[in-house]
Amino acid sequence: MSDRMLTMAEAIREAMSIAFDERPEVFLLGEDVGIYGGAFGVSGDMYHRYGAERVLDTPIAELGIVGAAVGAALSGMRPIVEIQFSDFTAQAMDQIANQAAKIHFMLGGALHVPMVLRTPQGSGTGAAAQHSQNLEPWFASVPGLKVVVPSNPADAKGLLLSSIDDPNPVIFLEHKLLYKIPGREPVPEGSERIPLGVSKVVREGKDLTIVATGIMVNKAWEVCEKLSTEGISITLIDPRTISPLDMQPVYESVDKTGRLLVVQEGPAQAGFINEVIAQMAGSASFGSLIAPIMRLAGMNIPIPYAPQLEKAAVPQIEDIEIAAREIVKNWR
Amino acid sequence: MSFKYPVVMPKMSMTMETGELINFHVKVGDHVKSGDILFEVMTDKIDMEVDAPADGVIESLVAEPGAIIEIGKPVLIMLTETEVMAFDFGSEEGETSQIIEKKSVEPVEVKIAQPTPAIVLNEKVKAVPKARTEAMARGIDIRTIAPSGPDNTITMHDLGNAQVDPVISARQKANRALVANAIENSRSIAQASFSRKVNSEFDIAMLIKAWAKTLRSRPDLAIHTDIGVALIIKSKYGSALPVFKDPDQISHDDLTSLIARTSESAIDGKVPLAMLTGATTTIFDLRAYSMNSATPLLFPNQITSLTIGDIGDLEKNISLTIDLNFCDFYDGAMLLDALIASLTK
Repeated sequence: MSDRMLTMAEAIREAMSIAFDERPEVFLLGEDVGIYGGAFGVSGDMYHRYGAERVLDTPIAELGIVGAAVGAALSGMRPIVEIQFSDFTAQAMDQIANQAAKIHFMLGGALHVPMVLRTPQGSGTGAAAQHSQNLEPWFASVPGLKVVVPSNPADAKGLLLSSIDDPNPVIFLEHKLLYKIPGREPVPEGSERIPLGVSKVVREGKDLTIVATGIMVNKAWEVCEKLSTEGISITLIDPRTISPLDMQPVYESVDKTGRLLVVQEGPAQAGFINEVIAQMAGSASFGSLIAPIMRLAGMNIPIPYAPQLEKAAVPQIEDIEIAAREIVKNWR
Repeated sequence: MSFKYPVVMPKMSMTMETGELINFHVKVGDHVKSGDILFEVMTDKIDMEVDAPADGVIESLVAEPGAIIEIGKPVLIMLTETEVMAFDFGSEEGETSQIIEKKSVEPVEVKIAQPTPAIVLNEKVKAVPKARTEAMARGIDIRTIAPSGPDNTITMHDLGNAQVDPVISARQKANRALVANAIENSRSIAQASFSRKVNSEFDIAMLIKAWAKTLRSRPDLAIHTDIGVALIIKSKYGSALPVFKDPDQISHDDLTSLIARTSESAIDGKVPLAMLTGATTTIFDLRAYSMNSATPLLFPNQITSLTIGDIGDLEKNISLTIDLNFCDFYDGAMLLDALIASLTK
């Protein structure tokens, strides 16, 4: 057992390096991923270790970057694209949603697109509305894309390796605020994969089930710790892959706890987490609910620039704590 | 002991929803025998005479000739002493109770209580999903529970203090008394029991069919011309004994789906009227309870009774009780042997 504590940026770099070593057809392209080491320092020294042919600095042209990656994937390569901010994927959406996601189906399965698109998302950096969005539902609503949202370094490493192995396009959404933070658990050495489409039960409790994605898993964890001292025990579930979504652990947990709180960073309206609620409401576990399902999500507004307002626009630890305490207290 | 029994508008075709009452063949106070014609009904497809399901006395006529009546709604009430069970027959609860209140004949002893719920019922209540399923399972009328949750919603906590629905508990009590009374009556009959282990896989429909066939192969033992197999199943109001008539004459699939449908509606306290009489033998399947045997007792007017238990893996235990007034010891042994032979074939 390894006890290495890595940051998520280090864990992702390690996963990419392992994939580079395992397969010559893997390469990385994006804006400033080479000499500069990536806008958030994720690719780091990879340019120096693998050379300009495998770590490609591209022009500022997202549609062209993803288009090049789709073409390369169709001709036998396994590209990893980094889009500097997930907000910029809007520029590349035709290649992502209309080409990468559909080619395999429209050509009767003759070709596939083994491409991974990594991109940082989320608020909390004071970068304002065009650099702070959480766009999980954009991608999760496109059939043909797999969507991964890691919440910690160890998961990020194992899930990224599986994403690179996958013959289909995978959107890998990394939260900026997690890049520099070491995880709670060590990152294993070696090249062990974490399968896509398997939710993780982060901790188990009997009073409440919280389903959260990405950075919200970390915030919810703090709440679980705090409330456990008050005698409230919480099951925390991290879907990790939001498409395909594995609901089984959620059903099993709600059968025990009877209460469900879902938390996401993105706006509440038509957000990904609503899918969790919809599937729960239509499942056999609906009859186990002893409380209304509670949702915490971002406000339906563009992320504000002012730090206090930015903070107020998305769920914070205190919000989750209040919601969790309320649902347990009010519904017995 | 006597029991009030509503005779309802029968469902005579798949599409039938209502029927017109043409006329009565009986009046209040008449003594009727099982099979006597009680009234005639008409639908757009068929006219039919409705028979008395059991011996008894006409207590009241509920509907007027010429009236259009929904299926399952009572047409008349009779008092009976036979093994007819205390069930709803598709009618809505309150309505039946009201009609039963209409006294028009000197009552024989009536065992069913008419309890009134303690509080005024809310027709529309808000409750968390688990409280609804729990209340149903525990026989609690959720409308009787005082809500304490947000927005006047019934929570699991509220359910914790709730009492069992008095209507249901009274029905269960009456039903238990009926079954006990029936068994009590037949206890003095000279009887003998046999049992044997059997190593074979078969479902309840196969067992019912095989048992009917076995009985039919021994006309010398029959005291009835038709075969009706009563199956003891669980219901909201206690044990229900729906009767499957001549089950060896219908296909396994049809019988399986009939058993499933009957069991499902029995859970809700509803057993079709036509299935409450005509039993000539009774089966109690203990496999669902992981029991390997129970004492099979004879019901009145039946000369055999069968229980089947689970011993483990494929092994089962079948026990047969016979009425020695009609069968000899070796007849019983041969019947059980023949049944097992047809199940292991």
